Amino acid sequence: MLMNEKRCVITGLGLVCAIGDDANECFESALEGKSGIADVKSFDTSACYSHKGAEVLKSNEELVDGRYDRTTALGIKAAGEAIKDAGLDMESDVSSEVGVILGSCIAGAACVEKYYNSKVKGEKGDIEDLKAMPASAISGNVADYYNAGGITANIVNACAAGTLSLALAVDMIRGGKGDIFLAGGCDSFSSLAYAGFHALRALAPSDCSPFNHSDGITLGEGAGVLVVESYEHAVKRGAKIYCDVLSTGVSSDAYHITAPRPDGQGQMSVISRAVKNSGIKFSDIDYVNAHGTGTAKNDESEFLSLNTVFAENNDLSVSSTKSMTGHCLGAAGAVEAVLTVKALKEGKIPPTTGYSDEDLEVLKEKAGHINFVANKPVERDIKYAMSNSFAFGGNNASIVFAKDPNTLNLTCPKQELYVTGIGMVTGEYNDETKNYKANLETEVFKSYGVKSAFLRKLDRLSQIQLLSGLKALEDSGLEVTPENEGAIGICIGTTDGPMTEIANFQKGIIKDGIDKGSAFAFPNTVYNAAGGYLSIATGIKGYNVTIANGFQSGLQSICAASGAIMFGYEDIMLASGTDECTDIDDEIYADLGLTGEGGMKLGEGSVTCVIEKDSSAAARGAKRYAKIAGFSSARDTSGNRLDNSRLSEESLTKAIVNALKKGGIDASDVKCIYGFGNGVSAIDDFEMSVYKKIFGDSIEVKLIKKELGEARAASSSMQFAMLAKDIYEGKVANGLAVSFGTSALYSAVLLTKA
Amino acid sequence: MNTEIAEKIKGMLVERLRIPEDELEYDSELFGDDIGLDSIDSIEIIVGIEALFGVDISGAGAKKEDFRSIETLTAFVEAHKED
Repeated sequence: MLMNEKRCVITGLGLVCAIGDDANECFESALEGKSGIADVKSFDTSACYSHKGAEVLKSNEELVDGRYDRTTALGIKAAGEAIKDAGLDMESDVSSEVGVILGSCIAGAACVEKYYNSKVKGEKGDIEDLKAMPASAISGNVADYYNAGGITANIVNACAAGTLSLALAVDMIRGGKGDIFLAGGCDSFSSLAYAGFHALRALAPSDCSPFNHSDGITLGEGAGVLVVESYEHAVKRGAKIYCDVLSTGVSSDAYHITAPRPDGQGQMSVISRAVKNSGIKFSDIDYVNAHGTGTAKNDESEFLSLNTVFAENNDLSVSSTKSMTGHCLGAAGAVEAVLTVKALKEGKIPPTTGYSDEDLEVLKEKAGHINFVANKPVERDIKYAMSNSFAFGGNNASIVFAKDPNTLNLTCPKQELYVTGIGMVTGEYNDETKNYKANLETEVFKSYGVKSAFLRKLDRLSQIQLLSGLKALEDSGLEVTPENEGAIGICIGTTDGPMTEIANFQKGIIKDGIDKGSAFAFPNTVYNAAGGYLSIATGIKGYNVTIANGFQSGLQSICAASGAIMFGYEDIMLASGTDECTDIDDEIYADLGLTGEGGMKLGEGSVTCVIEKDSSAAARGAKRYAKIAGFSSARDTSGNRLDNSRLSEESLTKAIVNALKKGGIDASDVKCIYGFGNGVSAIDDFEMSVYKKIFGDSIEVKLIKKELGEARAASSSMQFAMLAKDIYEGKVANGLAVSFGTSALYSAVLLTKA
Repeated sequence: MNTEIAEKIKGMLVERLRIPEDELEYDSELFGDDIGLDSIDSIEIIVGIEALFGVDISGAGAKKEDFRSIETLTAFVEAHKED
């Protein structure tokens, strides 16, 4: 059996949302058509045209012990249920194997609101709120809460994040990076999202009614967490198995930052990918839990897509459960995955509610040959079920669950992976501001054919990302064409994402009112906007994921990109690390006490590396900087859990040793390390002492942050890129790029001569 | 054309939609190739004009052609502004 054909199964479920406190209650409510939509209680909506939401009527304290942002609290609640349901004893050795991959759209939005409420009044913000604001904090906090020691990641592809997290967990297992993951998504109700969708006029005036009145969404909140496990691991510990996860699909529209393609091409592409990878036929799928948000644009394109790709399937049932749960954004895919697994297991399909007799007549026309499940549940045998998620940024994700195992179609032969292009955007030191800023003159973009009409829409983070992506494509000599657009993907790592846009949007609605949010600014508050714009500008239509997991995210993006090629999803991946440095970032890092005397100097930048499989590089005669010989990540569970960037000799050593093992290279043969030292003596001293223990005193350690500042995810990407360049120029034969980040995750990538 | 209104609309477009000032003329095609605005931008224009002049151009029945340029927007605001 090839590694990538490993069976993955679901062994535990956890769910909390407006229709219930656990998976069983939510599923029973959904079958009964009980809606969780009511008048919003979290904040005053009297100035808005809509007042509806699907909130969880429990305080954070009722959800979880301890002080957490609401998004994390919801995640902890659902993860706890999933752990219990899976029969996992987190006090035993198994806890060290459990990884945590969670999706979120708005991350710590409740803490963003609290923090900037204080700041706008001229008061000092609470540092605990500040620490909980970025998405980077979520998975690590959930992992620490349950003592989980496996790899963590936060997937931040807006409304597709929940499904993408499950996809990444499956790939991690098949790629040998773990045997068991808590995977899913969580998002809280927030004034930020409410004001944003209100500004876009995308909120339904009353309860949303997907595929029916299609006059907008109703926002919800919640978390869904599934235990995704290798079959062997599940059997070995005697776990109950709900079903198999066959495979997943991920694609990009490359069309618009908020709207789906009207022709449904991106949606059809992702459904087709999931069906193909799963080794089944379109006619095999019995039930699709649709994205079904209730906006006219989504519902029209989704019905078109489903009717087109499933034209040969005469017995397909479809429903959208968002009419009851509301749209839980980054949690939506995970909430719906839990409901889909329950539907498959019990042979009962929850309906889409809210149809009058007249509506049902109209539905017959609209639904085409689909059996749309409206108002009442349907009982039927389900062998194969699919759940779809489509997001801002044009990101699409699809997942297939099955009653029985299947022969997968992930037959990509094992191939070497190479770095075939590098694009760098770095900051220059400014004596006045004491930080590093990149040059983003319009002329630079014009030279790459980017029109100012497009560029003006992009926030700073998206601009830096776009520029490094364009430079990397140019450097690799890669042209995106209709023939290869689907064989190229994007993976972006970031620490703080668009925190500037988030903070400014939040400050705007604090000042002007929740009904006065900016429709122009809101799309840029999602973490995956930068990746979305890159795909729109370049026409790249393949895999697209954004990971927010601290400084090491630039290296984690290389690992995830490599996985996407290894499984045959793509031939080529653009892997980036990107973070910006604005007045907001300056303020945040100063308030955290991390800059200033003895602290780090904040930098910014974006580095994109083209990662390509051997056959593709050979076919187009691409230059090869270096070969990716091995990568590994390890997480600390022994240190002070209150410090999520804690230093851990054991984890750093483990990441390095495992990466060397994968590459078949002895520590004594390693020539150079591009390290993470950033001028903070505690970090620099720790790093050097670990290297000396592993490699001896003479190991050459290069620290780029001295010249370029702490550009966070861009720095870890830059370390990787500089090493690749050194190898290409014959300066060294091999080397490691090493970094660490939030959630105490350490990553190491080994590069050797091409 | 009331240049005072036009100038205010121009300033709003530059500020809210980050349109480079030097590329924006009173007769530039806002939704055409010149400036390349889209549906999200039109929402922002509606909100921006209401904030500036208290005119709900959407509620007052503005049509697609009223959004064509700063000139047409100015004419619409002038016709519907209550002094």
